[in-house]
Formats: sequence, C-alpha cells, structure tokens
Amino acid sequence: MMRRILTSLLIASTGAGLLGLAGCGEREQTAHYEDGRYRGKPDTPPYMAAPFGGDVMKYENAMRTRAQNQNEYNRID
Amino acid sequence: MRNSSILSAAAVWVATLSLAGAAVAQTPALNPEDAQRARAQQQRQRTQPGNDAPVWRDVRYGEPKVSAVRGRETDVLIQSEGQTWRAARVPMATTGGFVFALALLGILGFYLWRGPIELTEPPTGRRIERFTRAQRIMHWTLAIAFTTLGVTGLIITFGKNVLLPVFGYSVFSVVAMAAKILHNFVGPVFVVLLPIMIVMFLKSNLFKSYDWPWIKRFGGMMDRTGRSEVPSGKANAGQKILFWLMLVAVGITAAITGLILDFPNFDQTRQTMQIANGIHMVAGIGGVILLAFHIYLGTVGMRGAYDAMRHGYVDESWAKQHHRIWYEDVMSGKASHGDRPVKVVEPGRGAA
Amino acid sequence: MARMKFICDAERCIECNSCVVACKQEHNIPWGVNRRRVVTLNDGVPGERSISAACMHCSDAPCMAVCPVDCFYKTADGVVLHDKDLCIGCGYCFYACPFGAPQFPQDGAFGLRGKMDKCTFCAGGPEPDGSEAEFQKYGRNRLAEGKLPACAEMCSTKALLGGDGDVLADIYRQRAMARGKGSEVWGWATAYGRPEGKPSAPRPQDKPGPKAPANGNGGKS
Ligand code: SF4
Ligand code: SF4
Repeated sequence: MMRRILTSLLIASTGAGLLGLAGCGEREQTAHYEDGRYRGKPDTPPYMAAPFGGDVMKYENAMRTRAQNQNEYNRID
Repeated sequence: MRNSSILSAAAVWVATLSLAGAAVAQTPALNPEDAQRARAQQQRQRTQPGNDAPVWRDVRYGEPKVSAVRGRETDVLIQSEGQTWRAARVPMATTGGFVFALALLGILGFYLWRGPIELTEPPTGRRIERFTRAQRIMHWTLAIAFTTLGVTGLIITFGKNVLLPVFGYSVFSVVAMAAKILHNFVGPVFVVLLPIMIVMFLKSNLFKSYDWPWIKRFGGMMDRTGRSEVPSGKANAGQKILFWLMLVAVGITAAITGLILDFPNFDQTRQTMQIANGIHMVAGIGGVILLAFHIYLGTVGMRGAYDAMRHGYVDESWAKQHHRIWYEDVMSGKASHGDRPVKVVEPGRGAA
Repeated sequence: MARMKFICDAERCIECNSCVVACKQEHNIPWGVNRRRVVTLNDGVPGERSISAACMHCSDAPCMAVCPVDCFYKTADGVVLHDKDLCIGCGYCFYACPFGAPQFPQDGAFGLRGKMDKCTFCAGGPEPDGSEAEFQKYGRNRLAEGKLPACAEMCSTKALLGGDGDVLADIYRQRAMARGKGSEVWGWATAYGRPEGKPSAPRPQDKPGPKAPANGNGGKS
C-alpha cells in the first residue's frame, strides 16, 4: 500500500519534472517586430484617444506635422 | 594694523588656494587613452569638419565617460556585454533544463528498476544514535532553505516557458514575484547557515582509504539483492561526494554569486552581475539536480534513511548494512559525537 | 505606420541636460530615477561631444527577450512599453539593455529593486490613455494627445529629435546638407572617414552659395 502511494507520488513528481522539459525548448529570444504591427499586451493605441477618436490617418498626419516642427529650417525664413 | 595685514594676507592666500583648487578641478583629468581618442577627434574635425567618427567609435568602447546624472554606470553610453549575456543565457538554460529533466528521469528509472533499498536483515530493535539534535536541526533548516531556493530559482529561470503559458500573465507574475522575494530573502539565510553546516559535517565527510573501493563499485547499489554493499564509514563515498559537490562547490559558488546579485546597492557594474548571474544559474541547476538525488535516496530510495535524519536514530541492522565500518566503530566505542560517545539504546527503552 | 525613434545630433548637443529635466518634470519621476541622461565624451578638451540617451525602443529588444515574466510589449508605432503590474523587479532588463535605460526606484532595504521604470516615448502604459492610473505609473501619455516626447520637443538646439524615423531622417538629411559639405555629405568616405590630412570641401559659410533648401522632407508630405 505504502509502496503504491510512494510510487505514484514519485511518478507524479517526475511527470511534473518532465513537464519542465518544455522549458528546454526555450522560446525564441527575439522579439519579432514587424513594422506597424502591434505586438503585445492589451493597450489602447494612441489614436483611440480623444483628439483623434480612432482616426488613424488623422493621428499619423498630426504626428508627422508635429515631427516636422522640430525642423528649424522649416521655421526660419 | 598688523592684525589687518595678517588678515588680508590670509584672505589672499585663501583666494589663491581656492582659485588653484578650482583650476585643478576644471582641468580635465583625461587618462592617456581618452586623451589619445580626444586627439583623434580634434584631428578629424580639422580635416573633416562635422565628422564625428572618432567620437562614435569611442562610444562603442563602452567605457565610462562623464555624465551629470548620478546613478549606476550612467556615464557608460553603450554596453555590449548585455547582448552577450542575453545570448549565453539561452543555451545555458536549455542545457541545464535538459540535464535536470534527464536526472529526474534517471531517478525514476532507477526507482522502477531497483525499487527502494530494503533492509536485508530484520531489524534488531537496538537503536544507534546517528545524528545529534543540533545536526538534525541544522540539516532541516538548511534543507528547507535549499529547497526553497531551488524551487523559486527554477520558477524564475524556466517559469516563463513552463508556467506562464499555463497560468497566464497576471497569475504567473504573482507567482514569480513571490519566488523572487523568497529567493532574495532566503538566500542570505542560506549564506549564513552554509558554513555552519559545512563545519558540522566536515569530519565525517573527509575521504578515507576505504572510500575508493566504494566508488569503484558504486557502493554495490546496482545489486538488486542489496547483499553486496561496500562497507563504509559514517558517510559513504557517495554521500561524501554529494557533500563536497552540493554544499562546498555549489553552495559556496551560489552563495558568493548570489550575494553579488542580491545586494545591487554596492554599485557593482552590470558586467559583474551578468557574469555572477551566469555562474549562479549553472551552480543553481547543478544544485537542484544534486538535491533531487539526495531527496530521493533520503526518502523513498532507501528504507530507514529518512528516520535517521528525522529522529536521529537508526536500527542496528540498518547501520550494519549501510555503514559497516561506522557500525563497528560505534560498537568498539571508537565513534563519537564530538566529545561524547554515540548513544546506543537497547530494545524496549525510549530514545534519549 | 510610423516607427518611432530618437536621434541625438552630437554636433549640436550642448549638454544642457534640459531633456533630463523635462522628462522628470513631464512624468513626475521619483527621486533617483532618470529615464534620460546626457553623456559627454572628451569632457573639457577640444573635440568634446555630448549625447543624450534613453531607451532607444529597440526592434529586437534585449530587455523584452530576457524578462522572466514577459512584461514588455511593442506598440504598432514601434515603442517598447512594459506593464508595471507584471514586473517583479528582477533587474534582468537592466543587465541586458545596451543603453542602461531601465531604472529602479531603490526604496527598499539593501537595494531591493522596485518596479522597473524606463522611457515610454511619452506613450504611457497599458492603462487607459490619459488616465490617472497611467500617469501615476508611467507618466504622461503625450502620443495620445498628438504630441511627441517632451525631451525632444523642447530641445533648445534641436540636437535631440523624436518621432517617426522617416520624418527624422528627412530633417537630419536636410540639416547635414545645410552643414554643407555638398556632395561630400553622402557616401562611405564621410561616414567612415578619409585618409587624414586631406582637406575637406569648403563649407557654405565660407563661400557665397545657395541657401539650404526650404523644405527638405525628401519629397514626402
Ligand atoms: S530598455 Fe534598453 S533594450 Fe529595452 S528597448 Fe529600451 S533601449 Fe532597447
Ligand atoms: S525588472 Fe521587471 S521588466 Fe525588467 S526583466 Fe525583471 S520583471 Fe522584466
């Protein structure tokens, strides 16, 4: 009886250890970034916020204009 | 009059000194190599204004420069070693995980094939004191610490691949957080206990001439009848090897590297911590493998072994079968626990 | 989609550390944490150059790869963000990051690390954009307000630029043209240096010539 319990215990723990083998197949360590593709946890994209109301084009254009503000050759003259 | 001239002289003196001090402080203290690189840039901007190639090359050396922001290595712009560490972690963890899994498989296989090592003679009822109270308390404290560190370490290392897909992000994060805190706080306890444990068990784990035959025949453990066990002292050669590997080699390595990682407030550099982390990981995986063997043989693997550490006493037959030389020493009064002889309780009497 | 980037012009950075201050101010960053810093090379001698550095939002981010709880994510804009609710403060990302970007508030005993904090490209975190919870944990979400990172936008010399990589490249290209080595702006010889001693082409400020093009965004609008 005791022996049976011990055997099953041992088999169970080894099974758990074997499950651990899955860890050896280490997932790829590189973060695949495809340009413009969202990869990650749930998070609202910035263009969903109030000023843009989900309009991606509006957001992109605003960003581009804003970035061009950093170009002082556009501002002098 | 005289007083004021002395005063003004002193004032001039102080002013001169502080000016000189300020000048010294302002003089850039470039080491020769940095000065060399600065000259390269000076040369370059004379010949090719706007070309900063020497500066950018300098950046890639990853050496400390100057930054007004205080903090750890804020003056290093780029450190490349992190990438090396990242790349090295994967094969190390993979190999380590495989070896650990194989070891577990090996133990299971051994158990299925051999079964527990049973007593070959019926117990006589005469009980011999194998471990003192202090030794047992020490053993169990360290055992709990070691196991906690092993399990939490495994969670931190392999949890991302093994537990995360099962538990999901939030639950696994809580588990990993608990693991990290336990690991970081039990670690120093382990470091304190380890040397005491080593000193306490050192004497019985020094190698003797009779250990060699034991090693050569693996203690007769492969004989399923259990009748060809090689005589051994209080600890057999296998236990001695375990002592030196698990406590001395792995324990001390993990303790030193662990302290480096656990107390990041001494401004050790990232490179120090990367190297410490790598060594710690190897030592840790080695540790849990040895721990698995030890737990197996101390519980299900050998009848009576657990009781020896739990209650401190073993049956005469057990001692005779597994540690013949020690048994004979006890009987002849040669064996002792520190400064007192080993207690032997006759059948029918309660333990001391 | 945009690919958000920072670039720091070493020819322009004057080590005023305003970006460092602006960042701290914008996000209410706790004491001892600096998401951005300025490093000076050849300090105090001719040839001195300063470079402002923070998280560079790597494409193949080492921090992301080593995090044991996988708390990082990448937005469609290419910004690397992390979830502080998941972070366990192990410090692995700090070991791996080439730029020393991850920071840890060390308020516990013995240097116990708190939750990791790093530059978010002013894009907040997983909480609802502009919410109080997001501000408390990650600071302001300027991208959701249609703005770019505070450090870059307020840089007085415009050494530090932030935004879509394509736009920045255009701005920088125009600038390099204006710096004036004409045809020499391009090519390996300039990028990797030429034999020393060979004189460079005369610079525009030395000779009368055409002004920099007024709109240099490379044909894109
Ligand atoms: S924290 Fe470091 S490694 Fe991670 S994306 Fe930023 S710069 Fe790259
Ligand atoms: S400190 Fe936090 S973010 Fe960094 S690797 Fe550890 S868990 Fe991940």
